Amino acid sequence: MFDISVRNIINRKLRTGLTVFGIGLGIFAVIVMGGMSEHFNLTFERSMSLTADKIRVLPEGGIFGITLDESKVKNVKRVPGVQDAFGILQVPLDPDKIMFFGGNVVLGIEPGKQKSAMEDTKLTQGRFLVPGDGYRVVLGSNIARQFKLNVGDELQVRSKRVFRTSSITHVRNFTVVGILEYTGTFFDNSAQVPLDRAQDFYDRGNEVSFILAVPEPGVDAENLARRIELSVGRVTTFSPAELRQQIEQSLIIFSMITLSAAALAAIIGSLSVMNTMLMSVSERTKEFGLMKAMGAETKDILFMTMSEAALMGLLGGIFGITTGWVFVYFLNGYLAEQGTVLFDITPRLVVISMTFAVVLGVLSGTYPAYRASQKSPMEALRYE
Amino acid sequence: MNSNGAILRIRNLSKTYMQGKIPVHALNDVSFDVHKGEFLSIVGVSGSGKSTLLSLIGLLDKPTTGSVFIDGEEVTKFKEREAPKIRREKIGFVFQHFNLIPTLTAFENVDIAMRFARVPKSKRKDRAVELLTRMGLADRMKHKPSELSGGEQQRVSIARALANHPAIILADEPTGEVDTKTREVIVNLLRELSEKGQTILVVTHDVAVAQKTDRIITMLDGKIESDVKVTGKVKLKRAG
Repeated sequence: MFDISVRNIINRKLRTGLTVFGIGLGIFAVIVMGGMSEHFNLTFERSMSLTADKIRVLPEGGIFGITLDESKVKNVKRVPGVQDAFGILQVPLDPDKIMFFGGNVVLGIEPGKQKSAMEDTKLTQGRFLVPGDGYRVVLGSNIARQFKLNVGDELQVRSKRVFRTSSITHVRNFTVVGILEYTGTFFDNSAQVPLDRAQDFYDRGNEVSFILAVPEPGVDAENLARRIELSVGRVTTFSPAELRQQIEQSLIIFSMITLSAAALAAIIGSLSVMNTMLMSVSERTKEFGLMKAMGAETKDILFMTMSEAALMGLLGGIFGITTGWVFVYFLNGYLAEQGTVLFDITPRLVVISMTFAVVLGVLSGTYPAYRASQKSPMEALRYE
Repeated sequence: MNSNGAILRIRNLSKTYMQGKIPVHALNDVSFDVHKGEFLSIVGVSGSGKSTLLSLIGLLDKPTTGSVFIDGEEVTKFKEREAPKIRREKIGFVFQHFNLIPTLTAFENVDIAMRFARVPKSKRKDRAVELLTRMGLADRMKHKPSELSGGEQQRVSIARALANHPAIILADEPTGEVDTKTREVIVNLLRELSEKGQTILVVTHDVAVAQKTDRIITMLDGKIESDVKVTGKVKLKRAG
């Protein structure tokens, strides 16, 4: 019976084409928006896996942007159970740009702490920062690609100091000494410089943006985080679990917004399937009556009509996923040159999109199929 | 089959439609028997109840009262959901407008009737080829209805009606859409089938067609006006 459904679809090329295009556009939106959501989820997952063992210590209230005095690092280190702690100063690479979608950042970090901060991340070129390094920088893979830099090249960094009526911009070249491998985390968009040079260049005195505390092996991170808060004072800590929970909540909201918009587009696309199927059923009233007169059961008619709708959903899904993939491929290529990547089409997303397309097709074909199956053969045969 | 040899028994069949609040008696207490291999025509003016009778026998509609027995089974007592099974096993339809599925070839139009009866693919193929060859359409099997003449389409429709070895073929104006020459071909074909034991009921306006059948039932105002065996030329009232 399925071959008859295929035949019906092929015989109505223009109508099928337009319907498939409609549902395909919806699935295109699902793939693109879902790809963006997947990218953020993956970046978060990879970032978490790189820094999962550390406790973040932030200024009281847990607000990024407000800084801590570097002296707090020593206080954190003194807390029993802390194996190591180091401060990081985080500043946007371009002072005129608002950080959006994890733009490029300068990370001021103590030389020698890089490996600890990024677990086992390796270098594709050069070396890590070492004590005694001056205006040296280790670049994340995206920044290196964006500015087409290799070891030995210079990265021009600007800092802006704002006064009451004027601002002064300082420009400084940092020599590239190392380039990190691609990690799929925010470290790809970081330029890591020695902490003291960053503090000088950005005129931040002894400030750091946050402190990373490494617990001793076997120490409960949740417990230690509470103890750091109590011992150090005027700081807020995030244990790995708390951080995960906080970021996951934000990501769920982001995913809901993007996927709802995409789902809406796909549902609108599915209305075109319903419209097509209703027209098709209406046109074939006599045909269904005839089939019933020949002994077709209600389930035969239902199967035939719904498989047509499902097939159109499937074709729409294939069309949407293919065009979405091509679009994302080229857009990611372009964005990579700008130093960022926004989309990840994962197998999970492809399966969800395809299932969504077929389910939408089937759902939108249910009512027309029901109408077709309920045609009385007598009335249908009289229908002209 | 029933003991008296009747493959079809109609007993006190009535059908009343409501036209607003006014009841219309389309069929009124009709009873008759049809024997296996009989070629019977039902004639009558428009509104005489002949098409209603055919649709009640074919389970396309439900009678108000009365019974239809096919092959000894009372088919009118079955539930709505059982009707498709009876239709595909006991009845074959031939329509005035051929009613072939336009997107399917001649072969597929015959094949689809057997699909609904869940006949295995290999058997379906053999049967469809055999029937279409018998109808003289061996070289037209892959053609769609739009590529066939009216006569050819009606022969495909007859092949389709025969596909599931039905007890009766119900033909509603089978020659209504064809020219005189084709009409002869169709009637001779039906005649031939009846001589081989197929029971055929034809509803027709056409006197020439009725005169080629074994028996003519004339309907008037929902009742049987006459029921005669054809031995020579029968004088019929002009059907409306």
